[in-house]
Amino acid sequence: MSAAVVHSPSWWRGRLATSLLLVLPLALVIGLAFDLPLLMTALWSITDFKSGSLTPEYYQDFFGRPIYLSVVWRTLEIAFAVSCCCALIGYPLSYWMTTLSPRGQKISLIIIVMSFWVSVLVRTYAWIVILGNAGLVNRALHYLGLADRPVQFLYGELGVCIGMVNVLLPFLLLPLYAAMLQIDPRLRQIALTMGATSGQFFWRVFFPLTLPALSATFVLVFILSLGFYITPAILGGGKVPMIANMLDMLINQFPHWSLAAAMSCVMLVLTLGLFALYQSLRGKVAA
Amino acid sequence: MTKPALLQASLLSLAAVLAFNGPAAAEPAKTLRILTAGGEWTDAVTKCVDGPFEKKYGIKVELDTPAGYAKLAGLAQSGNVNVALMDLETSELERANANGLLDNIDWDKVKPFEMFPDAKKPYGFASTYFSTIMAWRPDAKAPSNWVEFFDTKNFPGKRALPDYPGYVLAFAAIADGVDPTKVFPLDLDRAFKTLERVKGDVIWWTAGGQSAQLLQDNEAQYSIGWSGRIVTKTDLKHSFNQGMLDTSWWGMPKGADPAMQEAALLYLHEYSDPKQQACIAQYISYTGPSPELDPLLPQDKLDQFPNFKKNRDVQYVTDGKWWYDNAAEVEKRWQEFKLAQ
Repeated sequence: MSAAVVHSPSWWRGRLATSLLLVLPLALVIGLAFDLPLLMTALWSITDFKSGSLTPEYYQDFFGRPIYLSVVWRTLEIAFAVSCCCALIGYPLSYWMTTLSPRGQKISLIIIVMSFWVSVLVRTYAWIVILGNAGLVNRALHYLGLADRPVQFLYGELGVCIGMVNVLLPFLLLPLYAAMLQIDPRLRQIALTMGATSGQFFWRVFFPLTLPALSATFVLVFILSLGFYITPAILGGGKVPMIANMLDMLINQFPHWSLAAAMSCVMLVLTLGLFALYQSLRGKVAA
Repeated sequence: MTKPALLQASLLSLAAVLAFNGPAAAEPAKTLRILTAGGEWTDAVTKCVDGPFEKKYGIKVELDTPAGYAKLAGLAQSGNVNVALMDLETSELERANANGLLDNIDWDKVKPFEMFPDAKKPYGFASTYFSTIMAWRPDAKAPSNWVEFFDTKNFPGKRALPDYPGYVLAFAAIADGVDPTKVFPLDLDRAFKTLERVKGDVIWWTAGGQSAQLLQDNEAQYSIGWSGRIVTKTDLKHSFNQGMLDTSWWGMPKGADPAMQEAALLYLHEYSDPKQQACIAQYISYTGPSPELDPLLPQDKLDQFPNFKKNRDVQYVTDGKWWYDNAAEVEKRWQEFKLAQ
């Protein structure tokens, strides 16, 4: 270790001033373009649309009518189901990737990242071609004689979940894969020499070590699922209203912007809470 | 006053001063911005009306989609009304006018060709007659009226219904036994009773093209859709019986640039020309408001048009005023129904 250099307090003040100056343009842009409209939306949610006076009626309306809360609950349910599916599929896949040769790992990474390059909208519509009644899967089932009537995949919760898992899987896979690579490969050798079987090593050593990363990415995927709009709109056939679809109805079909603002603020608070959870879990991963 | 409002007020007063000072009226703007629904109808209008209009007056036409009452309310609230002409459904037109969002149309300046008398309102110019009708796949059992259409036991199959209360509730009420000649005022209880009964077999569509596409993909076996999207599809069957005849309107949003509004009045004059309407009817089977249109339409396809006598006689005309008067009630019940899916 080199000897620490001691700086004078005025040197530090100079550094602070320069840093602040460098950050200022970005802070201004974010503040004006993002924070200010967010504050205005929050203001709308507590201001009476016609008279301009402050009122809690929109929040009362939102919490008072069970129909809105049931949509929020349903969104939470779907988000949980999707996150679980992503974890069940993503964890084994990620583990398998760590056992590949370096070249194999690069190739599989490229394949996964390539899916990001295709727009969400295109991918969602592609599911209609694949899962539709006249689509690839149903035609294959018919050809193989496994089904005499088309199986209804689309326009319901099943189709929505499939579409969402497809989009969100890389979000779980990549951070989990990175965390798994951090685990020392010698641990496996040590465990085996000490008499453990492969299975025992996995459940008693490897899995607990990856648990913080898994829970962090699980929360991440959960947060992302809450805000999904395109997939339930296209693959749900109008029968899977999630929060974003409900807001779409309130903003574009029957303009009730103040109520929509109230809902958005509630969702923002909920998401911030979940994000705090994610940050604390992620902190444990680095440790 | 907000800044945009102040700017607009000063622009308007300047324009007023200029207009007052000389015999020349305000010059039409070089660009005309129109807010329209999009889709096949807008494509047809672009080919038949916008092109010749640009050539004749040298005014560029810019289109923006989608339209809708919410968008107009948003523009007005932000104080930045940058469109001079807007496509509105009947209930949206009534609602916009009642909320003071529209300017009256100066019919003296438009000097339209002859139009049906109910196609001219002080604040609206009827642009299109269209119908909402039933359609089905040829391999599905053919329904002859709405009771049969919504009968999922005897006519098995999925239904593709419009995700818009104004285009489905009336049919659902008729299916419950309401007399088709006495549909309005609409009995919402009976309408929702039908929808509750069939909702497990429904796919809700939001884009006009889906009503035909879902049938062609065999996702649904029966569908309700707008006639222009359905009648030209030869692989589907349809019927105008008990269909709903309706009109789309051009409205002029209040607060738009007066020069652009002048351009809009010229555009409306061009639109009222039966030749342009016949051109539109070639691409999509909707008719315009000109009474002289029939001889100019393709004679072998006359039964595809909503306003054709044989079709008009079996349809009913929607009551835009009822939808507007009862908007709050309809909204509340529609939300309760849709969000509980």
